[in-house]
Amino acid sequence: MSFDIIVDWLQAALRWAAPLILVSIGEVYSERSGVINMGIEGIMLFGALSGVAVAFYTQSLLLALLITIVVGAILGLAVAYLTVSRRTNQVVTGLMINMVALGATDMIFALLSATRKARVATFPTIFPESMHNIPVIGKLLFAQPVSTWIALILPFIAGYILYKTKWGLNVRAVGDNPKAAATAGLSVIHIKYQTVILSGIFAAVGGCALTLGEVGYFSAGGMAAGRGFIVMAACVVAGWDPVRTALICIAFGAADTAQLRFQSITTVVPYQFLQMLPYIITIIALTIMVKRSRVPKTWGAPYDPKDV
Amino acid sequence: MQENNYALQMQDITVEFPGVLANDHVSIDCKKGEVLGLLGENGAGKTTLMNVLYGLYPPTSGKILLGGNEVHISSPSEAIENGVGMVHQHFKLVDTLSVIENVILGIPSKKQRLDLEPAKKRLLELCKEYELYVDPDEIVWRLPVGKQQWVEILKALYRDCKVLVLDEPTAVLTPAESDQLCRAIRRITADGRSVVFISHKLREVIQITDRVTVIRDGKLIGTIDTKDATQIKLAEMMVGRPVTIVRKERPVFEDKKPILVMEGVSAKDDRGIQALKNLNLIVHSGEIVGLAGVDGNGQRELAECIVGLRKLTSGSITIKDKKVNNVIADPSFVGFIPEDRQKTGLVMDFSIADNMIIKDYQNEPFAQNKILRYKVIKKHARAMIRKYNVKSPSEDVKVRNLSGGNQQKVVIARELDPEPVLDIAAHPTRGLDLGAVTNVHDILLKERNRGAAVLFISAELQEVMALSDRIIVLFGGEIMGDLNGETADQQVIGQMMLGQPLEVQK
Amino acid sequence: MKLLKNAKILDVPIIGDIVVSAGRTFLGIALGLIASGILIAITGVNPFVAYAALIKGAFGNAQAMSNVLVRASPLLLGGIAVSLGIKAGVWNTGIEGYMYLGAIGAAMVGVLDLGLPPVVHILLCFVCAAVFAGIWGAIPGYLRAYKGVNEVTSTIMLNYIAIYLTSWVVSNFSLLAQTDAFYPMSKQFLPSALLPILMPGSSLHPGPFIGIILCIVFYFVLNYTPFGFRTKMLGANPFAARYSGTNSNKQIMIIIIIGAVIGGFSGAVEVMGLKHRVFMDFVTGVGYESVAVALLAGGSPIGVVFSALFFAALKAGGATMSIETGVASSMSSIIIAMCMLFVIGVGVVDSHRLKKVVDTSKYDEADEIAEAPKGKVEK
Repeated sequence: MSFDIIVDWLQAALRWAAPLILVSIGEVYSERSGVINMGIEGIMLFGALSGVAVAFYTQSLLLALLITIVVGAILGLAVAYLTVSRRTNQVVTGLMINMVALGATDMIFALLSATRKARVATFPTIFPESMHNIPVIGKLLFAQPVSTWIALILPFIAGYILYKTKWGLNVRAVGDNPKAAATAGLSVIHIKYQTVILSGIFAAVGGCALTLGEVGYFSAGGMAAGRGFIVMAACVVAGWDPVRTALICIAFGAADTAQLRFQSITTVVPYQFLQMLPYIITIIALTIMVKRSRVPKTWGAPYDPKDV
Repeated sequence: MQENNYALQMQDITVEFPGVLANDHVSIDCKKGEVLGLLGENGAGKTTLMNVLYGLYPPTSGKILLGGNEVHISSPSEAIENGVGMVHQHFKLVDTLSVIENVILGIPSKKQRLDLEPAKKRLLELCKEYELYVDPDEIVWRLPVGKQQWVEILKALYRDCKVLVLDEPTAVLTPAESDQLCRAIRRITADGRSVVFISHKLREVIQITDRVTVIRDGKLIGTIDTKDATQIKLAEMMVGRPVTIVRKERPVFEDKKPILVMEGVSAKDDRGIQALKNLNLIVHSGEIVGLAGVDGNGQRELAECIVGLRKLTSGSITIKDKKVNNVIADPSFVGFIPEDRQKTGLVMDFSIADNMIIKDYQNEPFAQNKILRYKVIKKHARAMIRKYNVKSPSEDVKVRNLSGGNQQKVVIARELDPEPVLDIAAHPTRGLDLGAVTNVHDILLKERNRGAAVLFISAELQEVMALSDRIIVLFGGEIMGDLNGETADQQVIGQMMLGQPLEVQK
Repeated sequence: MKLLKNAKILDVPIIGDIVVSAGRTFLGIALGLIASGILIAITGVNPFVAYAALIKGAFGNAQAMSNVLVRASPLLLGGIAVSLGIKAGVWNTGIEGYMYLGAIGAAMVGVLDLGLPPVVHILLCFVCAAVFAGIWGAIPGYLRAYKGVNEVTSTIMLNYIAIYLTSWVVSNFSLLAQTDAFYPMSKQFLPSALLPILMPGSSLHPGPFIGIILCIVFYFVLNYTPFGFRTKMLGANPFAARYSGTNSNKQIMIIIIIGAVIGGFSGAVEVMGLKHRVFMDFVTGVGYESVAVALLAGGSPIGVVFSALFFAALKAGGATMSIETGVASSMSSIIIAMCMLFVIGVGVVDSHRLKKVVDTSKYDEADEIAEAPKGKVEK
């Protein structure tokens, strides 16, 4: 295998991972505060659609991104209201949000019949064309769209916020012992709302990166293809650390893009088995890492402020 | 305006929960620099009253004055702002964070960036001032319980509280730590701060407080100066009738045979830390062995090892010559009253009838040919309800809807009615009121007289001394000594709970 | 709801619970239908016309009703599988994967001419489906029970793997794949391996009745057998289950595998009764729908019968609605999910309040304090 192929492969891996990394940032916060937002799969779909639709009608990627953020925030708010205020089961809530999303995005997509075959401009690269030709890193990094760059930088900022700021401390405290956080004077409910809304925003933006970062079109029938669940697995595997979660996402990306490359060079293994690879690897990674990962103490448990 | 002498006044506080009057026009006041004792039985309403002060429950009526000014407190953060600090009975620490992170958690500040250094400096000054030393960088779960309490107190002092509420602070402390706490309280009040000291232990209240307010059944009974108080008098106020000291009378049991034999038992706790170290213990038929010790010194692990819920790292346990390898779920062999009845001993959403058979559901007569026989199950439950005097309208009532005492009766009926050869009772009276406590003591004594071997685990020294034929003291997972229950001296046991083996004391 | 809260009936321990839970279920469904109606209106269709078409499509004639029953089949089987998991405290969300595996298993013998009489051939297909799906379910079961891997993530990953596996089976696996097909599909099942049609002129197969019978069977298993007792205990309090000697890991694994086998049956019924071939995407959305069915039923097997029929009516009627009024075909699944979001949304907090009320009523401490004989005092 030549060197070029490896660079190609890694470049594709980064591209594949970028939407997942974006989604994972919000999910890490949400889960750190104790709420598993299982609806991210569905919210990704909404984000993917709103990105394409707005970009198509307004021809503005920036506006597409902004609308997507609003969509994500609204959906995050819905999840937060249900899981935090109404204390619904987080698994059920997420699954039902996904179900609504699957149906609704298909429906809206069908309604906007003009967008059906639409291809829109994707996120631009930020570095000048000339830099793309720098050996290795030119292709690997400088030729990447802006969404990939954001996905590569944000985890570090997210990590800094989580460990080195008051708010990050509050989030960690709320997830590990909400009663203690409440008696220390924090508003547990507010913090959970903030993190869950954040996870909604990032999930939508991640979905948007899926369409506008790469392909430039939306396809019906659940184009997120379980990526939301892969992100949740990545969080567990990485122990809810933003930077490590990003690395795990890149590793999953490498696995997925490797299978694409294998498909083109081998016919011995049926391509369907290669397509299974990312899912199989996710399960294996979970199995190996799950017991070593330190779970936020009230992970997935509803919090009742009246329980003193 | 004349300066107000009172740091805290709570006037006519009434708290009503659906169907229950938790506080009925209770008034307390605490002067500046004073230690006020708040005395009452479990469930008397002490904690509710303090939760009102801390903004956790809204009072139905009544008002709160701090330093003479009326305040409305509707959340902990408002309580903190108003200078109220509280150390809850169950600590409110985030045990995955470090000490210093816990201390500064929730303190409002403009700076978003965490800057721990100045906070650490200030915390260390406080440590020195009150002689409550903790390492600011230590992760809380690594700290022993006593130290965790220091963190709670320091947390309140760091916020410069004017009134510090300590809810049953000595429950988790060794006698030496209790003394240290006493000294710290003196220093705290010397600064002009006030302390509200909640307890149901008379001796401590007399030792530490300046005045005592007693509440019973949610009502204020009275406030007296501690120097005028005696234990007898306080106990009378607390219970509502004259009380007597009892060591339970018992017949001599002749036919003693070793039932529980533990040899060289070592085990780890849930965090993987050595909890039991090379432990040897024999419990005979017809005796109650009281296992005393401050909570968290291996009692839980010991009980779990005996019934097979926890793996040994070395050593062996036999019960009536049968080696323990698996979970023992046969109440006709070993009856086990676990320390956390709601979490372990009961299925709260099951009916009383179902809870009576959670260990026996697959055995005759409750099941036949793999079918449950609800007629038999319900009849059995009705019989148990009658025999153990469970207060419930029917056997179909969910256990969740029973009071703590009645829940415990369900556990006791299930575990002890089949007449096991070995009874293990882990803190069976915890959280029960006096009547229910006596009831449990009587049942355990009856078990002993029947010839069962009884291992009685409790952190309440008085209870252990009243009930046990032999007293074993556990410290740091090791046995400090073995005393005769009849002649044991409280002072000696106190020293053992502190970690001084009996031989050393002699 | 205000009225309900003041009603005396709520004070009755068991009946009060039922009234409240039924009340809030219906309220949730009503709100879900209203919200979906608004959505329909937004898409430019009169929601009343749409709902009328839906009702006609579901109950208009015998044909429509048989259609509802056919659509209820996977929901009944999936619903009972998920319910069983809920009772034991696990989320068995892998129904789609089990259905694919069950269908492949059934096809392994169903397309072969073994010269067997119909009944035997059909039974053999079911056995094969059970084995395939059971082994598939053993993976998330083992991982959850012994490795602590969250079953939702693992089953959903396995669903995708199952889809690709099916894709390979129907396009490349020479034993089963129909080689000359315009769309990848398996060979046709032999007539002896097909389920009978119960109503001439319709596609009504025995699947829904198998589902209803299984619901009744599991109602008895859960309520009247030690196995069911153990399962419910595990779900209600895993610590107590361990304390009372239950091998929780084994029980969890068994429950997930049973769910998988039922899911396998469901897949087999679909291909043997309706599709007569295996192809990609022959089930879509059933995984989520099964969760909705089980939830609406509150995990109760008898409830599953009703909620599955209700959702099946929505789906069957939804198809008619889509054809007649032009509402998107995915509308029925949106309605289902919306109803469920509202049902759970109005549910939990109210039930919590109810619990508190019962908690501190009549029988409590008061008489216990009265009986207190003598106390103790510290020396």
